[in-house]
This record gives sequence, C-alpha cells and structure tokens, in this order.
Amino acid sequence: RMATPSLLLYIDSNPAEQKDPGWKLFGKLPPREGPLKDPKKIQKEYETKSGKAGPGNPTSPRQGVRKNLDFEPLSTTALILEDRPANLPAKPAEEAQKHRQQYEEMVAQAKKRELKEAQKRKKQLEDRCKLEESIGTAAQIWNQEILPNWSTMCTSRRVRDLWWQGIPPSVRGKVWSLAVGNELNITHELYNICLARAKEKWRSTAVLTTDTEDVLDSSDRESSLELIKLDISRTFPQLCIFQQGGPYYDVLHSILGAYTCYRPDVGYVQGMSFIAAVLILNLDTADAFIAFANLLNKPCQMAFFRVDHSLMLTYFAAFEVFFEENLPKLFAHFKKNNLTPDIYLIDWIFTLYSKSLPLDLACRVWDVFCRDGEEFLFRTALGVLRLYQDVLTSMDFIHMAQFLTRLPDLIPPEQLFQHIAAVHMTSRNRKWAQVLVHPLRLFHSALQKDSLSLDFFFFNDIIY
Amino acid sequence: HNMGSDEAYNFVFKVVLIGESGVGKSNLLSRFTKNEFNHDSRTTIGVEFSTRTVQLNGFYIKAQIWDTAGLERYRAITSAYYRGAVGALLVYDITKHLTYESVERWLKELYDHADPHIVVMLVGNKTDLESERSVPTEEAKDFAEKKGLLFLETSALQSTNVEAAFNKVLEEIHKKVNSKEVVRGSINAVTLNSSRAESQEEEKKPCCKNI
Repeated sequence: RMATPSLLLYIDSNPAEQKDPGWKLFGKLPPREGPLKDPKKIQKEYETKSGKAGPGNPTSPRQGVRKNLDFEPLSTTALILEDRPANLPAKPAEEAQKHRQQYEEMVAQAKKRELKEAQKRKKQLEDRCKLEESIGTAAQIWNQEILPNWSTMCTSRRVRDLWWQGIPPSVRGKVWSLAVGNELNITHELYNICLARAKEKWRSTAVLTTDTEDVLDSSDRESSLELIKLDISRTFPQLCIFQQGGPYYDVLHSILGAYTCYRPDVGYVQGMSFIAAVLILNLDTADAFIAFANLLNKPCQMAFFRVDHSLMLTYFAAFEVFFEENLPKLFAHFKKNNLTPDIYLIDWIFTLYSKSLPLDLACRVWDVFCRDGEEFLFRTALGVLRLYQDVLTSMDFIHMAQFLTRLPDLIPPEQLFQHIAAVHMTSRNRKWAQVLVHPLRLFHSALQKDSLSLDFFFFNDIIY
Repeated sequence: HNMGSDEAYNFVFKVVLIGESGVGKSNLLSRFTKNEFNHDSRTTIGVEFSTRTVQLNGFYIKAQIWDTAGLERYRAITSAYYRGAVGALLVYDITKHLTYESVERWLKELYDHADPHIVVMLVGNKTDLESERSVPTEEAKDFAEKKGLLFLETSALQSTNVEAAFNKVLEEIHKKVNSKEVVRGSINAVTLNSSRAESQEEEKKPCCKNI
C-alpha cells in the first residue's frame, strides 16, 4: 500500500545507550521498537530529536501531518543506521562523525532528487489542468455557438481554425456525424434490420455446419465471422474496451455484422474494425453505424475496401506527385531504395491512422479528415514523412519500411500538425482533386454498377 | 453471452469510477464485484469493466462498472467512458490531500460529459490508514453536501463501507428512474441505451421491459 521506502533511517531510541552508530544498507532486520514505522514518522522523530525541526515542522504529531506537505520531498531509501553489535569494539569518535556527515550528504542528495521529482509532477499536473481548461472552453464554443448554427458557420474561417486545433471529446461525435453526413439516408430502423439479419446469419452458421446445402456460402460466412472475431480481439487491445468481456465487444460485433448485411458486395475487410471502434468511442451504436457506412462509401475508402487495385494505384500515383513536390530529397531517397508508397500507405489509409498513430492523435487526424476529406489523409502521410525526414534519409529500405509501419510511440502532436500544415497540396497549380480527375471518373462508373447491386439487395430484402 | 452474468435483471445501470490515480478505484471495484483486494495492483491501463447484480427493494439491478486510468492517458475515450453513465463514484485518498483537491476538476469533467441527472458519490478511500489521514471527514462531508453529492468513507482493504457505497448509489439511481421528477428521455433513456447492446438476450428474460 505504502510507497516502497527508499531511505529508512533508524536511530536508537535510547540516547543513554547510544554508542557509535554503524550502517546497514537495505537491512531486513526489524527495527527494535516493535512494529514497523513509516519513514515519515521516523524521519520526523529523528529531526525532532536532533533538533532539526524547523519552524515549518510542527511538533504536534496530529497537526497538519500531510496537508500542505504534498510536495515536500521525503527521503525513503532503505538505509538503516545501527550500532555496531555489542560484541565488537565501538567505532572511534572520528569515524562516527565522518559517518554522520556521509549520512547527511546522502539525505540531502535524496531530498534534492525527490524535490526534482515533485516539481516534475507538479508541472505535469499544471499542464493537465491547463489542457482540461482549454478543452472546456472549446467545448463551450462548439456547443453554444457553432453547433446551433452549423450550416452557416461550418465553413467560416474561425470554425475551420478551431477545428484544426482538435474537437473536444464531448462534441466530437456530433461534429463527425454532421461532417460525414448521411448521403445514404440510413435510418436507425435500417440498422436494426441489418443487425437482425446478421444475427440470423450467425445463428444459422452455427447450425449449418452439419447441413449439406449451401456449403460454399456457409463457409464464406463463417470465415467472415471468424475474421471479425479475430480482428475484434486485435482492435485497441490496450484499451480493453472491445475485447471479449469488454463493454463494447457486442457493439463492435454488431456494427461490423450489420455492415456485411448492408453491403454484402463489400463484406468485412480487415481494417474496418478500427474505423468502427473509433466511431463507437464517440457515437451511440446506430449513429456510429450510420457514420461508418457513409464514411466507407466515400470514393477513397470504397476504392481501398473493395481492394480495387487500379484505383488504389492511381491514389498512390497522385500521392507521389505531391510527395515529390513537397519533399523532393526524401522522394529521391525512397525511389533509390525502391520504397513504394503501398508499403506504408495501405495501413494508414485502411485504418485512417487509428492503428498507426497514438489514439488521441489519430482522432485529431480524423477531425480534419472530416473537414477536408480524403486529401487530408494523404497530406497527413506527407506530414509524417516530413516530420521524420532526417531520420528516414539515413535509413536503408528495410529500416525505412520498419519505421513507417511501426511509427514511434511518442509522436509530438503539435509538431506533427505543424509539419502537416507545412505540406502544400498543390502541384503545378493543380489541386488534389484535379490530379485525381482520372480515377474519379472511373469511380463514377463503378458507382453506377454499385447502385444496381444495391437495388438488387433491397429487392432481395423485400422478398426475404 | 459475455457480460459476465446469466441472471435475470430488471435494470442495467452504468456506473463509472473516477478520481486521481492511486486512490484505490480498481480495488474498490474488485472488492465489490469479486470480493478481492490486490495489494500490489498495477496501474490500470485502459478500461477495467465488471458487473455485479444486486437485489434492491425486490428488483434485480445489474451494475455495469467502468474503471479506468486511461482517462488521463487517452482523451479519445472520455466520451465513451461517460456516455450512458447514470452513477459515478468520485474517489480520493484520505491520506493524500492532493487527490482531494482535484475532486472539483473531476466533477467538472463529469458534468461536461455525463447526463446532468447522474448520481454522484464522493468516496474517501483508505480509512485503514487512519493515522495518516490528511483529509478530515467533516471537511469532505461539508463539501459533498454543498455540491449535492452523496458521501462515504471506505476501505477497500478492510472491506469497510464498499458494499454500502455502491448500493447507496444504485439505490439513488433506482429512485431517480422511478421518480416523476426525472423527465422521460433523460436518465430513463440513458438506462435503456446502456442495456440496448444486450437487448436480444434481454427479450428472453422476465420483467426486463418494465423500465
């Protein structure tokens, strides 16, 4: 319960018997006075005895024992001062004096160290309070000024600036929902229908294993279900929220299952579990599903989750145009080492950075992604490359690949965003959408095909 | 069904544990749900989640209790943490005055994110360390009264008042849910929401629909 004592001083309680003291480091012998005392008391007793209790040290044991002493350093090393055993000759006075001096130096050192620690903790607390305060202020602005006037304010300069600084957690879900929109017109009811169908499927899959009909289909379903289960266990495992027994295990399962019924042509693709999980952290289940389906329906996400290779390649090609424009040296280094963007971009784009960046930082990327669209995903990638430009330039292929697929655990958020801000998304007067003009046209033709299959799906649904 | 219990219940109440790290939140949780105390418990990383069903005034109430230290670590989970919560235990350590001083900050965060009708209890933990007490009972009690919070002092180690604290909070939530004071759609909806994830299972159970 108590902090491990790091400097424990024991002084003989009977001054009449006091002989020359000896040292015992990390001694396990129990103090002679019976029950173990806590280091604070011992130190206090010692200071009182040796007349060191200053005016700030009250002599009454009850009065202000801890209050106002929160940052007072306390020496707690397991250092025990003991007499020499009686069967040995006593120490000369000179030596005893020297030892006493050494002791005092050690205590002073320890105090200094702990004072430093305490100051560090104090600073951390102050930073935390400051951060909380700024989040609170921002939340107020979003709630009272921006959200009630969303349609008129969302494109204003002021809101865009605030948006860039990160949306407070309490309004994040609302802002994401508004920004992603609901082009697909999904209702809570439709979500419940899809979920019910998914549950029906899961139930029949469990039974079907002995059935002979529909063998191929059922094994397909099974593998999709197995894949979802496997991925859920790997989705933010450190949070313990989505794993079996966690509070949102069922919710994540439900959303992914419902989606496979909503878009059987897309089905479940790895990476989706991360996107759904981040949405669940910020939205109620049905709203999370609506945002999930609409987000995946964006051109870039559709291209990736349908694993449309030629479309993905055009995205990579567009990315490389801006890569070369912004970071020509690093671009040349990548080229020389044959490091192609698919090696790192696939992971970043599929999970919208939620797997690759620390969660809080990933959410900030999502904030601006909701504001600026797919372009921001690639801009973020260039920001990451820009931030680590120097490190990367000194690496060979394998080390770069390793570095980019496992980014450092501690990425300074402000610094990353400064680098992202410094990335210009224009190339020879062309903007992102203009560089991507060709694949977009391709996409529109693909979309028409999709709407046909969607109609078919709903038709199926009615006769089901 | 993976929520830990197969018993039938009338209500699911989500209760969150908040307060500075090291005040004993995880041990209060494990004492209440498993009757365990871990002397060298580690820092909670992410969310710890436990349930226990208690019987109160003839109703079975399933307490779904969230405990985390991740709140400080990941801002991204605050909203999920507080969403749907109808009760909170705001814990401080009676031997560490600083943990008591931060109570107001936790209250602010709680009211920024949670339902305004949430039932909150201020809990002074570690009464087994009475000799090291730095927060007088009366001071905390007065503060709680002023802020409209329930108040108890506990010892997860000695199992003092732990049951009483959780049960009191659950009882107060139940009172609110039943009372006419609470507008339909606020705390009631929250209660329904928090159990919606399990609605499939619940349909089979008796008296689950009479909220």
